[in-house]
Amino acid sequence: MLRTEGLGYWYQDKEQPLFQDINLEFEEGQSYAILGHSGTGKTTFLSLIAGLDKPREGDIFLNDRSLKQIGLTNYRRHDVAIVFQAYNLFNYMSPLNNLLTAMAITNASHAGDRGYAQRVLNDLGIGDDLITRNVQRLSGGQQQRVAIARTMCCDAKLVVADEPTGNLDEDNTKEVIDQFQRIAHEQGKCVIIVTHEPDVAARCDHQYRLENKQFVQLG
Amino acid sequence: MNFFKRAWLNVWAKKGRSVLLILVSSAILMFVLAGLLIRSAAVKATETAKTDAGATMTLSANRQAAFKKIQSSSSSSSSTSSRPKLTLTPVKLSDAKSIANLSNIKSYNVTSSTTANAKSYDTVSTSTGMGGNSSGGPGMKSTSSSSGDTQIDGVTSTALTTDFTDSQSKITKGRGIKASDKGTNNVVIEKELASQNNLTVGDTMTIKETTGSKSTLKVKVVGIYKASSTSSASAGPMSTDPANTIYASYTLANTIKGSKYAGTADSVTFNVTNPAKASATKKAGNKLISSKYSLSTDDSSYQSIKASMNNVEGFANKIVWLVAIAGTIILALIVILMIRERRFEIGVLLSLGEARWKIVAQFFTEMLMVIVIALAIAGVGGKFVGNQLGSQLVSQSTTTQTTSSSTSGQPGGSGQPGGSGSSGMHGGAGGPGSTTSSAKTKNPDLEIAVSAVDLAELGGFGLAITFLSIMIASGGILRLEPKKVLIS
Ligand SMILES: Nc1ncnc2c1ncn2[C@@H]1O[C@H](COP(=O)(O)OP(=O)(O)OP(=O)(O)O)[C@@H](O)[C@H]1O
Ligand SMILES: [Mg+2]
Repeated sequence: MLRTEGLGYWYQDKEQPLFQDINLEFEEGQSYAILGHSGTGKTTFLSLIAGLDKPREGDIFLNDRSLKQIGLTNYRRHDVAIVFQAYNLFNYMSPLNNLLTAMAITNASHAGDRGYAQRVLNDLGIGDDLITRNVQRLSGGQQQRVAIARTMCCDAKLVVADEPTGNLDEDNTKEVIDQFQRIAHEQGKCVIIVTHEPDVAARCDHQYRLENKQFVQLG
Repeated sequence: MNFFKRAWLNVWAKKGRSVLLILVSSAILMFVLAGLLIRSAAVKATETAKTDAGATMTLSANRQAAFKKIQSSSSSSSSTSSRPKLTLTPVKLSDAKSIANLSNIKSYNVTSSTTANAKSYDTVSTSTGMGGNSSGGPGMKSTSSSSGDTQIDGVTSTALTTDFTDSQSKITKGRGIKASDKGTNNVVIEKELASQNNLTVGDTMTIKETTGSKSTLKVKVVGIYKASSTSSASAGPMSTDPANTIYASYTLANTIKGSKYAGTADSVTFNVTNPAKASATKKAGNKLISSKYSLSTDDSSYQSIKASMNNVEGFANKIVWLVAIAGTIILALIVILMIRERRFEIGVLLSLGEARWKIVAQFFTEMLMVIVIALAIAGVGGKFVGNQLGSQLVSQSTTTQTTSSSTSGQPGGSGQPGGSGSSGMHGGAGGPGSTTSSAKTKNPDLEIAVSAVDLAELGGFGLAITFLSIMIASGGILRLEPKKVLIS
């Protein structure tokens, strides 16, 4: 589904790229974990496949169409959903409105369907008492689940997450990873998670480690 | 329009911040409105000044031309012993009528002055008070042999003379001279003269001509007026006591002067409808008359009101623009700070594939909601601020105004020829309607009222300020890299 060809990126110095000549393939219905030491360029790599930045070298293809061809804004709107470590939600809205807003912007098939958004939230353990409350009055774990619910109710087939469990405790981490697995296996989407934690990585279908400017498959 | 909903949710959820923004915007708009209100009040005051202050145009003999004639004749015939005499041609009423037909002329007043001697009554000769002293002692009375002791001011209508329009003189009994008094022997006499001779409305009195056949004439008192003391002060030392001035129709004055003065006048004063076009009217009028006559305009009171209102208007304009610019800068700074604080939200919107212009539109809509409420508050408060500022401005411009009008004011009014005609009756400068117009110049109060036009204009300014401040601040949105949300 998603393929990188000769992908390379550097910030200032071309002679010191973060990674170079990366050829990887990500499939629908599968989950991928990307591990690596701090500062190796995991987030940078994710920003490229999320369409938040352009590669310096090589190209990324979605179903054999180049992201350049699709256009980054268009790609972000329709093809990819992102979960950040924090500040995922519009802090002036309820969980319900966060979902409805995302569905409206991405022009999702369920756009405007409150009942659907409500069901997705309920499914992730956000009860009716919470869905109309301002998101700032939700716990970190609850907020992260709302962020995951947002990716679930949008049509994008690719879900990327940067340290989605970085701020969560053990129980919440387990819960959040279970949901990502459901997205991959039940919704048939492609999930790519950047993480520090080996436990989290172990629960994904595939693991890669970024070291020495290359991605090494672990399992 | 999803950004509209987001804007509303944001404004509603962050009430504290919204209220703060509303207060800041209200303060800015209030000063903008105050400026707008003062400006429109100044414009309106200038409009009213046109009708209230008015302007006059006077047709009289051309003194300059007459002087030139003397000079040339004296140089050519220097050998002859006869002294050259200044002869001023009386104004022809037919000329006046054709000028009166010009579109900008509202009404006109014919003045013809002469003197006569009292026959059936005694003139007021006492020098009571300061005015009497300055007008000279009793010895002054018979300085000019051809001059009588009673001043006859012939007019079309007393209501049209400046003495009466300025309320320097007032009718206390009966009525003033009207246009219909033309051809009659009706007169209006001063209160002091009336009481001294036990005269009242309906009585008749007899006067005696000073020239020609020196025949006597019976005149009928139709009204009594009271002259203010200021008019006596303005009268020259040659003139008789102001109480001896009798108003009559100009036809009566002409009759006393002699038969060749029929259909003439010393001068004719035209009331101009639109003072702003006074000089154009003068130009048009000059085409209708010969060079023996001259037309002079007096729109000084209109000009001085206009000048001071222009001052106020200019100042108000400066307020409007300064506040608008300062307000835009202040709001832009606030929005820039707001955008920095909301960069994660913007990043999430961008990561969802939202168009950047829609994000700018959301911020604009948020500010617009704030501005709409601020407009309502400013609409109420602006009137108050405008009233305070307006009265301050007017009092300030009045003081600067008085000094400027004293230099620009024409001395002795509009060059009214006091004793014109060959008989040269009285040499005083104080003919009818010759009071200096600068004395009555009074600045109108600014009427501060919030009209729909003002509010619409304020709305325009509010919109422009909002739009500009968002445009200035939106650079931050347009430059923001969505990747920044990931790497915080
Ligand atoms: N805007 C930037 N300009 C220059 N260098 C940058 C920029 N952003 C990141 N870097 C550098 O690029 C390298 C990779 O950063 P990146 O955030 O991708 O690492 P990471 O693997 O996600 O690290 P972590 O595990 O700590 O999140 C780091 O050394 C970082 O300092
Ligand atoms: Mg990172």
